[in-house]
Amino acid sequence: MNQPKRSDEPIWWALFSAGGVCFAVVVPGLLLTVALLYPLGLLPENTLNYQQVQQWLLKDWWGLAGLALAGAAICLPLFHAMHRIHHGLHDLKLSSGLMGKVICYSSASLLSALALYFWWQGLG
Amino acid sequence: MEKTVEKTLVIQRYNPEHDQTPSQQSYQVPFDNSTSVLDALLYIQQSLDPSLAFRWSCRMAICGSCSVMVNGIPKLGCKTFLREYSGDLLLEPLAHFATEKDLVSDMTLFLQHLQAVKPYLIRQEQSAATTPASKPQPHKQTPKQLAKYRKFSSCINCGLCYAACPQFGLNPEFLGPAALTLAQRYNLDSRDQGKAERMPQLNGKNGVWGCTFVGFCSDVCPKHLDPAAAVNQGKVASATDFVIGLFKP
Repeated sequence: MNQPKRSDEPIWWALFSAGGVCFAVVVPGLLLTVALLYPLGLLPENTLNYQQVQQWLLKDWWGLAGLALAGAAICLPLFHAMHRIHHGLHDLKLSSGLMGKVICYSSASLLSALALYFWWQGLG
Repeated sequence: MEKTVEKTLVIQRYNPEHDQTPSQQSYQVPFDNSTSVLDALLYIQQSLDPSLAFRWSCRMAICGSCSVMVNGIPKLGCKTFLREYSGDLLLEPLAHFATEKDLVSDMTLFLQHLQAVKPYLIRQEQSAATTPASKPQPHKQTPKQLAKYRKFSSCINCGLCYAACPQFGLNPEFLGPAALTLAQRYNLDSRDQGKAERMPQLNGKNGVWGCTFVGFCSDVCPKHLDPAAAVNQGKVASATDFVIGLFKP
């Protein structure tokens, strides 16, 4: 049997795996804090006020916390979701070619770039 | 226990010499608590209809011959009992394979995929101990080294995981659960030196990357091998190989 061509899937699978961890750990933690505990008044008042959050995410530590949050809560989960959609389309026999792959991963890349652009803007 | 109760078995019949399409035929089979699907098939063949074709050999879930679809789920006929089903049973040949006759599937593709991953110990060089003067020495293995691959080593090549795998159904070129599990089994074996020969097959789109971790293969495996876990370990190995490949000339 001749040698098959090496698949580029490890790149997308690595992003998918990293995104899966973020989806399982970071996103629920973030939702619990921002969407549940804080609105219910279970956290001290003013903990998450705009100036405070801006200080944490964009001023302290050269804004690295903001970069980490954008990566873990937006970029990697995006790649995770689009990887699932890409393979889901194949399972549903809707797309098995290059087209679906390009659309899925380029939209994840585009939205990730947008998230990182806003982070960069916030730094200034 | 006396065999007084009967069960209806609906069996897919197909004879390529006469039939344009497969058809279904019903049989009434007496059964008790110990009647397996294979027992029922043997009863039909011996007492009702000698023209019925199916494969079998050991009757004890070790030869992997009597694989059939029972009510749409891949099963070993000898390990599945009529008592487990309240209604009629529908028996069909394994899904995702061509049918030779009645319940006999054409396993050629499966065997080709097994062969592709070189599922045997490969030694690059004869060990230094094997000089003409000295006798060949056995390759020693610690219990810890054995434990690494042992859980993947009891495959009986029954093909149930291929009938369960939707990705193999969509793409017959996909190497599939059993072949990828065997590749992983030998790659994890401390006596083996053939990983570099196997990786190109695993790295392709029809290798480990054809799997989307549906996991049904592990559900149906009669030896509880967990092929899905083996394939996912293969993905880690292939991703590592990919990164190493980037830095190699």
